[in-house]
Amino acid sequence: MTRRVYLDHNASTPVHPEVVTEMTPYFADVYGNPSSVHGFGRDAREGVDVARERIATFLRVPPDQIVFTSGGTESDNFGVKGLALARGRGHVITSRIEHHAVLRTVQALEAQGFTATYLPVDAYGAVDPDDVRKAIRPDTVAISVMHANSEVGTLQPITEIGRIAREHGVPVHVDAVQTFGKVPIDVDAMGIDLLSFSAHKIYGPKGVAGLYIRKGTKMVAIQHGGEHERRRRAGTENVPGIVGFGKAVEVRGREMHDEARRVSALRDRLWEGIAARVPDVRLNGHPTNRLPGTASLCYRHVESESIVLGLDLKGIAVSAGSACTSGNVEPSYVLVAMGLPLDWAMGAVRSSLGRSTTAEDVDYVVDSVAPLVQKLRQALPVGAA
Amino acid sequence: MRYSETLVDHFLNPRNAGLMREPDAVGEGEYAGCGDLARVFLRVRDGRVAEARFQAYGCGPTIAAASAGSELIALRPVEDLAHLKPEEVERALDGLPEDRKHAAEVVADAVRAAAGQWLSQRS
Repeated sequence: MTRRVYLDHNASTPVHPEVVTEMTPYFADVYGNPSSVHGFGRDAREGVDVARERIATFLRVPPDQIVFTSGGTESDNFGVKGLALARGRGHVITSRIEHHAVLRTVQALEAQGFTATYLPVDAYGAVDPDDVRKAIRPDTVAISVMHANSEVGTLQPITEIGRIAREHGVPVHVDAVQTFGKVPIDVDAMGIDLLSFSAHKIYGPKGVAGLYIRKGTKMVAIQHGGEHERRRRAGTENVPGIVGFGKAVEVRGREMHDEARRVSALRDRLWEGIAARVPDVRLNGHPTNRLPGTASLCYRHVESESIVLGLDLKGIAVSAGSACTSGNVEPSYVLVAMGLPLDWAMGAVRSSLGRSTTAEDVDYVVDSVAPLVQKLRQALPVGAA
Repeated sequence: MRYSETLVDHFLNPRNAGLMREPDAVGEGEYAGCGDLARVFLRVRDGRVAEARFQAYGCGPTIAAASAGSELIALRPVEDLAHLKPEEVERALDGLPEDRKHAAEVVADAVRAAAGQWLSQRS
């Protein structure tokens, strides 16, 4: 049987066994609606409350400032639209390398009459806080900058951005879907008013996420209906998901620091192993100020999808930085924003390591990548090589 | 797996990959949509393909299509190849997903261009 190696933890993660155990009773035994006043409902409510407490403890914020949502995309939509629409009109600042959940939300706001500034990034994929300062206008209603991009993993200078935003009285939303539970986040020290975070990136279930909303932040709900989540997000809570999310966060509290060190060393082993055996390869993003387990590599003159296919046939799961859909290949907008030339950007492959990744896995990937890239390059047209 | 076993085999073990020195004809096919490129080299004896080699840049299916195409045209009359259809390349791969049909088109374009070059040189 082919060995299987999963290096796509930034896409999703396996649910932690302790999380599965915690969730299981909430499907068939504790099935009440947490809004119901009877015992069945109260039992479910308790599960939701415990989860909220756990997450609040982890983030060091009051529990009533955590709102559960259906996923990172909803949290980002809620955060950005909630801030902007509460102010009716104005100017939004974001970066060019945000997740589409933010970028397209800002574009949707532009279609409704808001204006927007999309900040550039440097060669490492980092926003310059001075650019934020220069972009702020009297009518700026929100700043949304992610903590780290899923593709390259460079950590953004959120503390500096938060300080500048505070000086100008502009609320800050941070998409921390890729960093929550992987690197420390201090919403007070970093000046964060809203924080999106998700369960399935940290060994929790899919379909559940959260939005931290600092007390006093002027927001409007974007999903209407019942009076759930203190009237901030209508809809019956995903009780098993929320319970699992709470457990996943508790586990992260125990495991995060040790795992970050271990995974970071494995990421370095992967990069150094590949760099030693494959010519014309580069590591994207900041070399040190980055997510522990993310390695975005560009193989010059090789098309990323051919590498992903070749590795998939070896049982290895990585993701392509450029996507070919219906015969149109778009290089990653993140790498383009970082100024990478097309002949490099087209060969971007992201590996994202996690808690189950071993040194043997990494060595197997290195041993598989080197001959694959060599073979693909042998067939290259001279004009392109 | 969304690709046929034949396609995967050609991708993993490409036949006739690489440059040909002093070919009798060369043709290129390019798909502007994604920048995929195939280049086909022909050595011709008595009006037939005595040897074919290819170079390709693109996704896995394009590399596989170039490999399959190089086998497909071996020993065939060059005049026939001036009309090679993408469907024939696709059949040699046991099919392509809808969003990867361009792989066969790029390779068929390259073969037709090479055949056209040889025929125009001859006349």
